[in-house]
Amino acid sequence: MKRRGFLKKAALTTGAIISAPYILPSGRLFANTGTRVANHVVYVLFAGGIRHQESIGQQFLSNQGFPTEGNIMNNMLSGNAPTAFTEIYDPWTPIVSNPLSSQGTLFQEVTYSVGPTGHFNGHTVAMTGNYTETGLNLVENPEFPTVFEYYRKHSDPVHSAMNAWWISEGLNPYYTLNYSRHPLYGPMYGANYLRPNTIFGGEGRQQLSSINIYHPDEISKIARIKQLLDNNFDQSTGVLPGIINTPEDRELIKSFIDTRIEAVSNYTMEIATPGNDYSKLNGDLYTVSAAWQVLDEFAPELMVVNMTNSDVCHDNFTGYVRNLHRADYGVGWLWNKIQSHPILANDTIMVCMPEHGRNLLANNIFDGNGLESYDHSANDEDSNSRRIFSLIVGPSGKVVQGQQLGTEGAPAAEAIDMVPTIGHILGFKDDVPSYLFQGRALEEAFV
Amino acid sequence: MNRFYYLIYFLSFSFFFFSCKKETEIIQQPIVDDYIFNVDSEPVYQSSAEKTKEKTSEQYVSILYSNLFQQSIPQEDLTDLSLIRTALGDKQLADELIINGLVNNSDVIIPTNEQMRDNVDEFIDGVYLRFFLRKPTAYEKVELKQEIENDLELTPEFIYTAFAISNEYKFY
Repeated sequence: MKRRGFLKKAALTTGAIISAPYILPSGRLFANTGTRVANHVVYVLFAGGIRHQESIGQQFLSNQGFPTEGNIMNNMLSGNAPTAFTEIYDPWTPIVSNPLSSQGTLFQEVTYSVGPTGHFNGHTVAMTGNYTETGLNLVENPEFPTVFEYYRKHSDPVHSAMNAWWISEGLNPYYTLNYSRHPLYGPMYGANYLRPNTIFGGEGRQQLSSINIYHPDEISKIARIKQLLDNNFDQSTGVLPGIINTPEDRELIKSFIDTRIEAVSNYTMEIATPGNDYSKLNGDLYTVSAAWQVLDEFAPELMVVNMTNSDVCHDNFTGYVRNLHRADYGVGWLWNKIQSHPILANDTIMVCMPEHGRNLLANNIFDGNGLESYDHSANDEDSNSRRIFSLIVGPSGKVVQGQQLGTEGAPAAEAIDMVPTIGHILGFKDDVPSYLFQGRALEEAFV
Repeated sequence: MNRFYYLIYFLSFSFFFFSCKKETEIIQQPIVDDYIFNVDSEPVYQSSAEKTKEKTSEQYVSILYSNLFQQSIPQEDLTDLSLIRTALGDKQLADELIINGLVNNSDVIIPTNEQMRDNVDEFIDGVYLRFFLRKPTAYEKVELKQEIENDLELTPEFIYTAFAISNEYKFY
């Protein structure tokens, strides 16, 4: 070998050795290197397909031919409430002293660029940071890793499932979004999925109200026999479905469920309605209330919670406006609760985003008040369903306050940006292989 | 020509051999007492290795209910419990909650601690047949018997619970 060739190869080899990833005892290639903006993130998927016109646009009924505009999301957005026709949504007094948009950065115009604007697609995009082009198999976990898996795998030390929760208003097919099919991730990095409307609702109260929380020595007896049985069965736990909590965490969750079922049955659980009025609960507020119970009890580092009731807009615009107003109240209520928590206060950033928008043009369905209804097109027939927004709220030392970014002609962000943004907040973004993120971290929102 | 006859013999033998393969995908419930007293001849698994398919939530819940109450699950309960199993991401947690709720039902049929200890061998045969649809191996029987005899506070309720949340019970 010539000297020049030898030196070139030696230099390349040395460079490769220096730049090669280190394999840590945990099996990870790199230690978590990112600095955290905050230690807790609550990601609210809001709230079943929201039109830009009634949210950021604050146009209320003006598109229905009524001369009235105004802000029906007084907890999240700045702006005066409507002064006429308010009886259709029964306004609630805002629960936050200052709108959340003044306590963070509002991306007024965000675009959902690619793929069908369906609910499951929208959730998948929002939770994986990757657009989905085609119709989804509704019983399969997503192809790309979820934000939970990124968070758990790329945190050092690897965090338990107790630190990652997916609280969903809906059951099918949202339960599949707590982990992906991706070969490098999967259920071992998944989140605890919980649908409060089932577990604390009728089914749970009917079937689980008599559960008996065993003493630790009784639990150990059961665990000992289970271990004996499992030792004689070839199928490993790796092929078993779902995420796995430690036995200790399972007992904590069982106790949590037991006490909350009792509290709901006795109407003593705090709920996200004015005056703790259970008659004003809808599915969204039930879900938000339960999400707070999880936050209060376990203070997880990452929670995704969704609301879906505003999807009644397909045939009931009145119900849409009403539920949108309530979902906004739920977000304000949740933020207030977070500020009252000794661990979460001043160390939590909340990210809110609709999973998709809704059409500009109404369908031909009129509700009981004669108001036109709106769908969300599954293709490019109506690009209005691609117009969404995002609100990032947090402490003044961490999140830029009162900032508004983006216009209709110049969107400030994309739907796929929220996952890398959460990665930026929790310090794992740079540890995720770059080919897995289509979007970018919205660093302009942070101090 | 000889090759042709060999081929015919081989195909005939293969057909005969493979067509007699034993069917092992059995999820029906045997009557446990019939096995214990050698009355019935319903098929059971020969070993746990034959179980390779995961039960659906509906299968798991309905079989668990019939194991504990010795009757079919009412449709409403099946719907409720299947939804509960889907509404939690940790299936082990969901199963533990479901079994916990069922064993605390006053109509559940579980032997008393005294009944179990009166005839431990019979209890072990019965619980394996009830939950795993097979007889225990000699090793399994010795293991469980030792556990029962060494711990007087190990009750049938705990053992039933352990079987119901075991990995093998999730498969058929």
